[in-house]
Amino acid sequence: MLNEQRIRGFLFYLSVVAFFAGLPFILSFALGYKFNPRTFKFTQTGLISIKTHPQGARIYLDSKLQDDKTPATIQELLPGDYSIRLELDDYYSWAMQVSVEPRKVVRLEKVILFPVRPNIKQINQGAIIAFYVDKERNRIYYLNKSENAFFVSDMEGEKFELLNNLPQGFNYPLKELKISPDREKMLFFNDRQVGIVYLRPEKSLLYGQAPLILNYPNQRIANIFWHSDSHHLIVVTDKNIAVIEANERINPVNLVNLNKMASGFFYDIDKDMLYFRDLQRGADGLTYENVYKLEITGKNTVLNNIIRPGQNDK
Amino acid sequence: MINNIFRKRTLEIIPGLTSWGIIFTLVLLAFIHPVACAVIIIVFDFYWIIRTIYLTTLLLMAHNKLYRERSKDWLGICPENNLYHLIVFPVYNEGLDILRPSLDALKNCNYPKEKLIVTLAFEERNPQAGDHARALESEFGKIFGGYVSTFHPDGLPGEKRTKGANATWAAKKAKEFLNSRGIEDENVIISCFDADTCVDKEYFGCLTYHFIKSPSPHRSSYQPMPVYNNNIWQAPSFARLVEISSSFCQMIESMRLEKFVTFSSHSMSFKTLVGIDYWPVDMVSDDSVIYWKAFLFYKGDYRVVPLYTTVSMDVAYADNFFKTIKMQYKQKRRWAWGVENFPFLMNGFLNDKDIPLIKKIRRGFHLLESHVTWAIWAVILVVIGPLPIIFGGVFFNQMAIGFNLSKITGLLFNFTLFTSIVWIVLSRIILPPRPKDVSWLKNIVMIMEWFLVPFIILILGSTPALDAQTHMAFGKYMEFNPTAKSKKVV
Repeated sequence: MLNEQRIRGFLFYLSVVAFFAGLPFILSFALGYKFNPRTFKFTQTGLISIKTHPQGARIYLDSKLQDDKTPATIQELLPGDYSIRLELDDYYSWAMQVSVEPRKVVRLEKVILFPVRPNIKQINQGAIIAFYVDKERNRIYYLNKSENAFFVSDMEGEKFELLNNLPQGFNYPLKELKISPDREKMLFFNDRQVGIVYLRPEKSLLYGQAPLILNYPNQRIANIFWHSDSHHLIVVTDKNIAVIEANERINPVNLVNLNKMASGFFYDIDKDMLYFRDLQRGADGLTYENVYKLEITGKNTVLNNIIRPGQNDK
Repeated sequence: MINNIFRKRTLEIIPGLTSWGIIFTLVLLAFIHPVACAVIIIVFDFYWIIRTIYLTTLLLMAHNKLYRERSKDWLGICPENNLYHLIVFPVYNEGLDILRPSLDALKNCNYPKEKLIVTLAFEERNPQAGDHARALESEFGKIFGGYVSTFHPDGLPGEKRTKGANATWAAKKAKEFLNSRGIEDENVIISCFDADTCVDKEYFGCLTYHFIKSPSPHRSSYQPMPVYNNNIWQAPSFARLVEISSSFCQMIESMRLEKFVTFSSHSMSFKTLVGIDYWPVDMVSDDSVIYWKAFLFYKGDYRVVPLYTTVSMDVAYADNFFKTIKMQYKQKRRWAWGVENFPFLMNGFLNDKDIPLIKKIRRGFHLLESHVTWAIWAVILVVIGPLPIIFGGVFFNQMAIGFNLSKITGLLFNFTLFTSIVWIVLSRIILPPRPKDVSWLKNIVMIMEWFLVPFIILILGSTPALDAQTHMAFGKYMEFNPTAKSKKVV
């Protein structure tokens, strides 16, 4: 037992010595100091942390190839400017000039290396002139000009199938396609016409009619949004903002007259709010060019001037 | 009187206040000065690595010694003697399935049975106590040199419902029995065993040998290595790991003699026990406080002699995972309640003028340090470690230390993983043979289960100790809450 206690005592004091001898080095490393055994002095240093996607890029520090590949950390760098170049076969190289400060880290951790030959895959079939990606359902909707028809496929272009024909009388060029929130209807529009097709033909009976076209001969359509109920459309033209049911027999309800070609729209479908920029008359009777918020289905359709007078030009 | 109460409460508050003080200071630093907090964490991480290496080396030494000595024919090398062994089993509500194997182990041990006097110490309030006593007496009563069943009355003045109260009652009754047979106290070694304790065949030979060879046999306690092999193959991974770790901690402690304190089942001179007026009847941690009582009584001239032989107990587990966690938590909290030894010891030191001051400081500091470390280490490593990175903001994350902190912490965990391999190997050696009804696949499970260690550290690392210290600091004292043991869950 005595012998074991001696060994234990030795181990204990060895541990104490190891702790106190190692601690300055651990702490100096952690804090960014480098110990110079020649001068017995600690020098302040900095470090560079590099992470790339994809990994494994060669690192050149001031044109000198480093041993490590990304992800890597270059430790104990004296403060100053360094050039970093990252190279990976078949990818564009990446280069940057960085300034290393004492006891600090330069984080180059969001570097993406782009391939020289990107992987491109053709996923449509035929003469597609517009498409809409529904990420939630992993579908892509297409409008084929030569066949005047809508098609759908999965995200890889597989399972390509006909959905519906483009209604007769709709003119090109088409501006945009938009799917209703319930994913059952698609609207498409040009400057003067709005068209709606039903993505499940059997459902068309529910509305009592086939694909329809709404014409705006005297107005220029700037944008159209689906209301959250998937039945109403918010149509923004150069003259007004109107709401219309997806039905050609119903007249639109004019919500706001626009004094300028409205621009910069954002439709918040969760709250059915339209944000737009226009010239509108304020409570003081003066007009202001501002960003406005239009509550579409509130009890009172209120036009809210969300930038207060005085904050910008009249 | 008021001064005494003030002193007692102050001493009771110190461990909890120290632990919470360290934790709060570090959390506060993580917000207001993350660099300082990170420096402290790195120092602690490095300390923990060094400590882990040191303790794992001690474990290897203890393990080696255990396997050299456990199968020795101790009885064969024992000088002739007239020593008797009094074995007390304090029973709370353990059933015959627990008690019978413990007595079987005594029956099968390699020691003259006429030298063994067995006392089954039942609680009178347990309605099954009488039936159990009669059943065991008819089965084992004639095997040993003496067999006594005692029934500890409930609610004696000054007593709490603790194991110590029951053991004290039983020891007093046993003393009457021994004296009636003309056996002197100084010729008796008492072993106070948990009800599920199964001794190794050579236990009493080993104990007798060390008692005789000790330079001061009456000023020593004798501590075997506790293992939890009784039901280890049946126990769930979580509980098994915790108990293996407990065994290893005791083995490590056995190499640090200046800190070694009695734990769980152990033995001592009966004369000493009588001299120090038995176990405290109002304290939960009777197994360790008896050592401190003797230490104070003999003015610091008292020690624990490690016995490199095993006593095997049951792994505490229940019939589902969450109940097992709860049971293990309660057991660890009861062990952590050993922090009540600190005010007991300090109070003893303050009333004593003979123990050298340096010894008082060393022992007091060791005791406080061990409980405080127990309460904070997992919190620092697991909870506080990432705080500077989370709350340090942009400034801290631009600093070299902000970058290196996670690397050094990662290094610590990798290192802990490496030491875990040593522990896995040792745990395999300490295992009893696999029962025939247990699949060999369990061998793989028992290795893979070590991946649960971080999870166990999180739940059972520091929380029970913090819980116990906080309760004591607020004067909310624990009653003895025995761990329900079972050989097999049905």
